[in-house]
Amino acid sequence: MVVSHFVALVLFSFLVSVVFGVLSKNTPRERVLYGAKVFGVFIGVALLLGWIMYPAP
Amino acid sequence: MANKAVQEAVSAKAQPKMSTLVRLCAAAWLVPGLGHLLLGRKWRGLILCATIVVMFLMGIAMQGEFFSTSSGSYLQTLGYFGELCVGVAMPAARFFGYAGDPLFVCADYGTAYLVAAGMLNVLAILDVYDIAMGRKP
Repeated sequence: MVVSHFVALVLFSFLVSVVFGVLSKNTPRERVLYGAKVFGVFIGVALLLGWIMYPAP
Repeated sequence: MANKAVQEAVSAKAQPKMSTLVRLCAAAWLVPGLGHLLLGRKWRGLILCATIVVMFLMGIAMQGEFFSTSSGSYLQTLGYFGELCVGVAMPAARFFGYAGDPLFVCADYGTAYLVAAGMLNVLAILDVYDIAMGRKP
């Protein structure tokens, strides 16, 4: 399976977010919200770090 | 005195036996989500099983590398134990001839997926322990 770096990042973040949400919270609503927040932070931080590293050779 | 006896009986009931804890954690290690299923947390167990197994299978699909302890490198040995944490899936894949292809274009991502699957299962095992000890609902 050949995937781009971004697709691998998104899939990885999604799977980890699901586990974090399930383990950290107790109600389904809390789990979904927390998982979505973790997913957003994963992607956001990855994009931010990518842009910070962009000028580097 | 009677209250103390009742309290001791209640606390003994609340604390599971060591053999039960070992059995639950071993089950959780061997098959992701099984520990939760044994504790009656059906949906939690199924979601964890599906997620961790999908992550492992994606690592396989991306031709991730299985580390070994014979390389002499501490990091590789650590990676081996990280991958082993996913349970019976890793030795089963080895048994059926999977070896990974380090030269494959996505192999690095695959290796990360394989190790992460093991690490997520460690979180699941710790969750099983906490639920069995009564620390979590």
